[in-house]
Amino acid sequence: MTSTAQELHPAPVLEPGRTILELRGLEKRYPGTHALKPVDLAFKSGEIHAIVGENGAGKSTLIKLLTGVMPRTSGEIAWEGQPAALATPHEAMALGINAVHQEVVLCRHLTVAANMFLGEENSRFGILQQRAMVRQAQTIIDDLGFDLPAHVTLGDLTIGQQQLIAAARATVRGTKFLIFDEPTAYLTRKEADQLFTLIRRLKGEGVTIIYISHRMEEVFELADRVSVLRDGTLVGTRNIAETNDAELVKMMINRSIEQVYHKEHFTPGAAIIEARNLSGKGFENVSMTVRAGEIVGLYGLIGAGRSEFVTTLYGRHRKSAGQILWEGKEVQVNSEHDAIKLGMALAPESRRDQGLCLNLPVGFNLNLPIYKRISNNLLISSAQEKAQADRQIADLRIKTPTRGALASSLSGGNQQKIVIGKWLAHGAKLFIFDEPTVGVDVGTKAEIYRLFGALLSKGAGIILISSYLPEVYELADTLHVFRRGKLVATHGFHAASHEDILTQALAEKQEKLGGQI
Amino acid sequence: MSTEAIAVEKPKRNYNVLFGLTLLALLVLLWILLSVATTSFASANNIANLLRQGSMIAIMAVGQTFVIITGGIDLSVGAVVGFATVVVAMMINAGFPIWLAILVTLLVGVAIGMFHGFGIVKMGLPPFIITLATLTSLRGIGLLMTNGNSININSDTFTAFSRNSFIGIPNLFWMVILVGIPAYIFLHHSRWGRYLFSVGSNAEASRLSGVNVQRTIYMAYTLSGLCAAFVGVLLAARIGIGNPTQAEGWELQAIASSVIGGTSLFGAVGSVHGPLLGAFILATINNGANLLNVNSFWQRIITGALIIIIVYFDGLRRRGK
Repeated sequence: MTSTAQELHPAPVLEPGRTILELRGLEKRYPGTHALKPVDLAFKSGEIHAIVGENGAGKSTLIKLLTGVMPRTSGEIAWEGQPAALATPHEAMALGINAVHQEVVLCRHLTVAANMFLGEENSRFGILQQRAMVRQAQTIIDDLGFDLPAHVTLGDLTIGQQQLIAAARATVRGTKFLIFDEPTAYLTRKEADQLFTLIRRLKGEGVTIIYISHRMEEVFELADRVSVLRDGTLVGTRNIAETNDAELVKMMINRSIEQVYHKEHFTPGAAIIEARNLSGKGFENVSMTVRAGEIVGLYGLIGAGRSEFVTTLYGRHRKSAGQILWEGKEVQVNSEHDAIKLGMALAPESRRDQGLCLNLPVGFNLNLPIYKRISNNLLISSAQEKAQADRQIADLRIKTPTRGALASSLSGGNQQKIVIGKWLAHGAKLFIFDEPTVGVDVGTKAEIYRLFGALLSKGAGIILISSYLPEVYELADTLHVFRRGKLVATHGFHAASHEDILTQALAEKQEKLGGQI
Repeated sequence: MSTEAIAVEKPKRNYNVLFGLTLLALLVLLWILLSVATTSFASANNIANLLRQGSMIAIMAVGQTFVIITGGIDLSVGAVVGFATVVVAMMINAGFPIWLAILVTLLVGVAIGMFHGFGIVKMGLPPFIITLATLTSLRGIGLLMTNGNSININSDTFTAFSRNSFIGIPNLFWMVILVGIPAYIFLHHSRWGRYLFSVGSNAEASRLSGVNVQRTIYMAYTLSGLCAAFVGVLLAARIGIGNPTQAEGWELQAIASSVIGGTSLFGAVGSVHGPLLGAFILATINNGANLLNVNSFWQRIITGALIIIIVYFDGLRRRGK
């Protein structure tokens, strides 16, 4: 056991291929739920071990047990052959087990350097050695190949850059076992590449990496082995060379991959919304039309201007030039309220920050846009309120004990269904989905895609924003590619190859990191 | 996730009702204990007195709760009460009809609340700061208007109101009902009430869902100002004077009542019945302590301890499921 608080780098090289952590019958029960059924699994030093599974399959529970956040119900954990209690996060860290979470859990108001050394500050006679810490932090960051300054405030960086810092932070603490939980959800491709380089390097140093992701291509790019969880059960572990996409998806959901992207083609009807030479903050001179019955996909890197474009359509930001036409007539959309009145609906990018009132009930969230409709001038009809909420919960198959449960108690996929579901009763004509499947499992994805079909069949139009190319590629009738605030290319359904689209979105190979926001 | 998981969590829906009942039980328990421990507590006179004491804080606490649910705070309410006593007293003494004096005073409360809304929404000031600024300036304006003197109100009709009773219950307590019932309907059965909660929970999500967040914030502070001005009218009637330094520290009592009543200072959690019960629990403790000859300094300490205990247990239950 090493407690090298002051020693920074690197962790001692471990003998590769040796079993470092072994789970024997590890099990977790909550009152009434069997979150993790007895799991036997051995992790080797120097391997990248991916864990995949749907939301609620038990991945988070497993992480929490390994990092000492929650006590296990039964079973054993052996660390380097010795039984380990892993009862507290502190104990896990002392052993060398660390985790990098999907949402960055660092102090946004402190500097990068202060965050890197948080809890292990370098001080002399009680006085912080701030300059020394910035210097050390900068050395580590440069060494890892991240082009980031150590003296700036963390909150000034993009989410992706913050994620890289979180990863860097985890590597400097004598880490032997590092868990990544969906680390690339908010990263640009370049940032993701930097992270992968870091991960491979840690592997070379003998660190065990647990890599949790919904993105299959990342699993195949990185992992040595992959374990699949379904409904709290370990379905199996495979060497990555001996398996494929289709097999893993089948193990995860008992369903084949073709059924995930469920695309229905409709004959497009009249134009619902048209942007003519629209410019605003973060994008310029964008023209496009969305017709009834079609999905218009917007593809590009994070920060390419897609979100800014749709939030301007939606009245969140002011346009600086150009026109918006709604059903052929020019309109001024000065607020979200105006947009909603016209018949637009937006399911925003971040469900936590923009999509949900987390500490309020599910039913409340579902009804929020339609309270005006289900109340007379004064009072809300509680019968309608209940009926509407229950109908959406049933239609969307939202897994919740009752409509009164708090939104925060649901899994990510079910929360996303609320973000989308609250607009269904509203009867909008244009649905804007901004990254609707980030952090959502394959099963829920399939359900969301099927929902798109249902909306189109009722004559609605959809704008689908995604950073995940297969998603827009398989679903969009018209695909627009954004790069640095401009619409650079437009394709019909399956009219261009993945490679072409990617090239158009990236163009110059070395875009300045973080310059996109 | 299996179907098993669906049965896991018990619905928390009736949490508010349950918590309300616990508070009510606590209040009744206090009353029983005090009736046994003292001879004078259960007398009609004392009960009427207790109801009068609690009523004014209770009304302020309701307005305060609206603000706290949106995630804000209104520190100005005590000063608004003091200022309102001055306004209503000056107008009555100047010969205006009582109804007009009351109406104008209430409008002054509305205007102060609107100003808070303006400061928060348009100037981007934190609620704590803008209402703290009003707290000190209003006292100053009131002192300027009165030259630091008290104004004796020369209308017996006006002052008699708060001493009188209707079917055995003090008029002041009827005012709690007059405010409480519409407030309850507003908060729990109108969409405006829902919007207070949604803004307190996540303003951005509310905005994107079509809620007018700015108007909701204006509304919360305006209602708080209105409640405080109304209490100012009642207080002026009760003590028969207008004095800007009255109601010193009442804002803290209103906040305490609200918090004891289950309102979360982080927003999005609260009710109308909770703060009302909270106010009367505080009033009972003060009243009982007086009857038991407990040093009045101790009353403040007890109030502080009670806040800690109740909020701690409330937090335990919320977390403990």
